[in-house]
Amino acid sequence: MALPLPPGLTHAEVSFLAEMELVTVVPRQRLESIDLLGGKTPALRPPHRADLPLWLALLLKKQRRANIVPPRWLHPSSLAEIIHRETKETPLAFSEPPPAPARADTANPGYAHRQGGQQHQRQQEQEQDGPIMSAPFRPSCTADAPAGYLPYHWLEVAEALLAHAGDDVASLAASSLGEVRGLLRDLVEVRAAKMRSSTAQLEGFGGGLMLLRGVGAMELAESRGFVLGVVDGVRKIGASAEAARREMEEERGGEEGESDEEMGL
Amino acid sequence: MSYYDIDSILTESELDIPDLGYLDNTPTQPLKTGAKVNLPLWLAEMLVIANTGDVEGKSFVTFDLPPALGNDVIQALKADPRAVPLRDQSPHFYGLGTHMMELSEEQELAAVLRKTFVTRASEVALHARKVGGVGHRGKGAEEGSNLGIGGAGEEFLRGLDEWERKLFRKAHDGAKSGKEWMEGVKKH
Repeated sequence: MALPLPPGLTHAEVSFLAEMELVTVVPRQRLESIDLLGGKTPALRPPHRADLPLWLALLLKKQRRANIVPPRWLHPSSLAEIIHRETKETPLAFSEPPPAPARADTANPGYAHRQGGQQHQRQQEQEQDGPIMSAPFRPSCTADAPAGYLPYHWLEVAEALLAHAGDDVASLAASSLGEVRGLLRDLVEVRAAKMRSSTAQLEGFGGGLMLLRGVGAMELAESRGFVLGVVDGVRKIGASAEAARREMEEERGGEEGESDEEMGL
Repeated sequence: MSYYDIDSILTESELDIPDLGYLDNTPTQPLKTGAKVNLPLWLAEMLVIANTGDVEGKSFVTFDLPPALGNDVIQALKADPRAVPLRDQSPHFYGLGTHMMELSEEQELAAVLRKTFVTRASEVALHARKVGGVGHRGKGAEEGSNLGIGGAGEEFLRGLDEWERKLFRKAHDGAKSGKEWMEGVKKH
């Protein structure tokens, strides 16, 4: 027991990683480009929007030097749509992660080497070659992120924005902060219930798969221990049957095995 | 874990064995053929596994499933996995079950255990989330319904076997640290 922590990232680590997500800010003051490890941040010229990492945006927000533009999926209408989809349309699956073509929706000079720094139409993006960005490198929390899709770090970013830039969220959504907060709570509960019931997918033999597509980082951190425990338990229960099945297969496939070995030689 | 499990298997001796009479509470007599004795799982398991080396190809012991995995329990589990307090059957219900399956290869038992475990797991997670007041502020109506679970919930939680207790702890830890983080965000 060298490491007292359970496997996987803790909540604090996940929310730390989430601070790398890009968010859109409207600066109130000029700020020259900062040379960060992840690349240069764009120079801030009010009133032009710019994409900054979440931690920097929150810092500027606290110093009243910028306002944060919340991502579109945080609007009450988008959240309500997602909740509707999760409860009514696909009551078993988690809602889809943002579609891949959205990765280049925004130009981000700070990360130009990664993004190519150009605006693309969707059709062009699909043809565009180059590496497909995964969660932390995709501008999924900027103002241009598509509505109706939850990015990987949705809960962390949403909580951070609600806690520290609540007035921005409220003003842009043209609704009360409480409404967004309530919808988020509902969404968390709906998805937690779904996570619990998804263990039923493990019931049948051979169907030992839990589909966790579209589950956010924070939800993973929360349910990791439980899900791993369930899967491990199912594995132990099925172990003897599995061993018996293997033995049978080996007996039957003995000849084929030999020929394989010969080919290997 | 199951090494310490005193839950014994009913083992039936097929031979007269001298000096083992004390297993059947008759220290002066040899252990008779056909005598049924309760042995700890680890010992019975060894005997059953050692069976194959027998001279006449006839096993010198046969075993029955322990009452915790008896027909009554299995039927009850088939009907509703959530209604059976597994802990009353055996504190190491699943551990016992997996050991038995290694010895007897009962397909049905495996299927029932698997269904039981999976069905109860989601119930365990539900309680793990609700216990300790993870329910959020401003949701009076839901809090009320949680209280409704409370009474039946305690009974359910008492009936968890060791695997499920472990699972409960994991799920509860996850939910708890999630809640702590959620509150910590505001201070940050």
